[in-house]
Amino acid sequence: MTAPTAPPASSDPPGVDDEAPIDLTDHVAPVVADEPPTPRSWKGAGRWAVAMSLAIVIFGGLMLMKGVNPVEAYRSMIQSTFSNSDAFGGIFVRATPIMLAALAVSVPARAGLINVGGEGQLIIGGVAGAGVSLAAGGSLPAPVVLLLMALGAMAAGAAWSGIAAGLRLGFGINEAVTTLLLNYVAVDVMLYLIYASWKDKNGSGQPASAPLPVGQRLALLGTSRVHIGIIIALVAAVICWLVLRRTSWGFRLSVVGGNPEAARRSGLRVNSLVLSAMLVGGALAGLGGLTQLAGAEFKLRPGFCATYGYLGFLASWLGRHRPLQVAVAALVLSAIAIGGDSLQIDSNLPGATVNILIALVLLAAFAAQRGAKESS
Amino acid sequence: MPKRRSSLLALVLALSLIAAACGKNTGSTAASGGGGGGGASSAPGKGSTAVGFIFVGPKSDFGYNQAAYDGAKAVEKAYPDLKVLTAENVPEDDNATRVMEGMIAKGAKIIFATSYGHLDAAMKVAAAHPDVAVVQQGNFIKGTIPANAGTYFGTVYEPVYLAGIAAGKATKSNKLGYVYAFPIPQTISNINAFTLGAQSVNPKAQTLVVNTSNWCDPSKQADAAKSLLSQGVDVITQHQDCTGTITKAAEAAGAMVVGYHADASSLAPKGWLTGSEWAWADLYTDIVKTALAGSFTGSKYNANFRVGFKDGKNPFVQSKYGPSVDAATQALIAKAKTLISTTGSPFAGPVIAQDGTVLWAKGVVPAYAEIETKNTVFVKGVVGQIPKS
Repeated sequence: MTAPTAPPASSDPPGVDDEAPIDLTDHVAPVVADEPPTPRSWKGAGRWAVAMSLAIVIFGGLMLMKGVNPVEAYRSMIQSTFSNSDAFGGIFVRATPIMLAALAVSVPARAGLINVGGEGQLIIGGVAGAGVSLAAGGSLPAPVVLLLMALGAMAAGAAWSGIAAGLRLGFGINEAVTTLLLNYVAVDVMLYLIYASWKDKNGSGQPASAPLPVGQRLALLGTSRVHIGIIIALVAAVICWLVLRRTSWGFRLSVVGGNPEAARRSGLRVNSLVLSAMLVGGALAGLGGLTQLAGAEFKLRPGFCATYGYLGFLASWLGRHRPLQVAVAALVLSAIAIGGDSLQIDSNLPGATVNILIALVLLAAFAAQRGAKESS
Repeated sequence: MPKRRSSLLALVLALSLIAAACGKNTGSTAASGGGGGGGASSAPGKGSTAVGFIFVGPKSDFGYNQAAYDGAKAVEKAYPDLKVLTAENVPEDDNATRVMEGMIAKGAKIIFATSYGHLDAAMKVAAAHPDVAVVQQGNFIKGTIPANAGTYFGTVYEPVYLAGIAAGKATKSNKLGYVYAFPIPQTISNINAFTLGAQSVNPKAQTLVVNTSNWCDPSKQADAAKSLLSQGVDVITQHQDCTGTITKAAEAAGAMVVGYHADASSLAPKGWLTGSEWAWADLYTDIVKTALAGSFTGSKYNANFRVGFKDGKNPFVQSKYGPSVDAATQALIAKAKTLISTTGSPFAGPVIAQDGTVLWAKGVVPAYAEIETKNTVFVKGVVGQIPKS
């Protein structure tokens, strides 16, 4: 590639590098700007409303075909999800690891990378957390152990995504494939440990690690069943938003994501940016695994965090990789899943019904986004 | 990247600040109480208007969950005034807690948590709702049993032993295959009983084992069946929740099948030998009756309740015979059934472990209570290892 390319999208002078950053803080790339409401975005909101209504009507039709009154089913779904404190709290408990796994997709996505490995990074984060807890034992004060567990989980998550980043940078192997495959390896690593050396000797025989001591668990918010993991996840979302929007690192990532060749020619260290984006993503998911371990589950079991990584992947795409929207998407996906309890308990519909609703909502969301792209 | 570092610092700070201000996460659902209504003084389950059932897999899995769902429907039939609430695909983790809480909010004061790994969640719910009777299917509560909790199960290894006799007679290669999920005492007891049953009529019989770490993962099941068949196994059985995949794989390969959890003979018209299946109706109905009457606490269900052939009420019964099981084999099985229903046991000594340890010496007939506690290792004749802990 010796042909001259167009100048990069930004106004950076050539030769800029990581070591001597020029101040890019005020440069807000148009691709990441959250625009204030304009006539166009009102139109977008209308498009969303139509798409979502359509999803709700179609799902209502399907329920009608199963002999269920859709109005009644929606009413009980909303009532049991929002008026029951356990179900309502459950939204936040469930959303916590999904949100962090979703951010683990969003950050690399800014640099044009596809991280499908949230699932494995969550699991490895949980494994590292449990490992630190076992290694530290009672020798350190519990809050210190919990802090070390969190750091260990983030390091492990970063290492796990770092493998994929290394394979991409070293051998040009697509990270979408490697991160996906590493999910299966992560499950096997966890199973190996909980079948053997970490197995709870006082357990029921099913492979599982011993429950974390109470002091090493994440505290509950007031008297609810919601643990502080949701605060961690929301803080992480805000930090991601700020970092991607306001720092030169975030700006550089979007330049790499927009046109890596142009970024390289303008002197950006594309490789180290790619690596750092993946590492940060993995660390976020690793932290998500820790919140699930120390907040909700207290032990590793074969189904630890199962499907949460993939739900996070969906949440990130649903929120168009914009951290705040992604956080909302994670909450919405969790709320629908918990509404699925009511579809079973109140309306006696099969357990898989809720997956149809989730699929319809996702399709509607992507259709609305697509529509927005085409009309702009 | 100083900004990133300070972000991390802020996050850590926020974490520690909030941690200082919050409640302890002790593992009981402290917030609840909104739904149940009744005070701690009322007997668990008494006067309940609903009964809740949670299943780990689909209600129509040709296996464990389908059988449990059939039991739930029997309760509905026996108590038309009771609302029977069911939820399938409830994972063995904290999500189960939330689903059970949702049922309690709908008036259920009797909850059946039907999967082995639902125990943690069931105990959490029981601790939060003293007025709700929570029973769990198949696991054991260790230590003190709360006044509103219990476990129940059949002695699964008895009909499995009988099926082992059919397998031992039928095999030509003397290699039997067993696909299992987790090395829990219940499953190890089954694998051992199956092997001992086969060896009782065919001393050369061996059982090759493969585990899947999942109650129902059809792709792992297909792999496991393939690997066993390629090693010369000609009779396959399983300890999985959903049994269709392995049954069909064996039939397609011309191998014979011993069923588990449900009658899947329609999936293997040629290869079906026999099997074991659940008939939960009577036991479920009796648990509900006991709890509704307010007499759950102190009853036999407020314990680790096990029922078997010797009580005459094992909810785990033998499935029908397939076409290739001849009258002589059926007679052998009938004789063995009579014996283990009276003075015998599948684990009547001598029972020798893989490493040569004597589990039960010659002449010893173990009681139900000690069978699952001692079956933590495979017996001689089982090929495969339990992962060491």
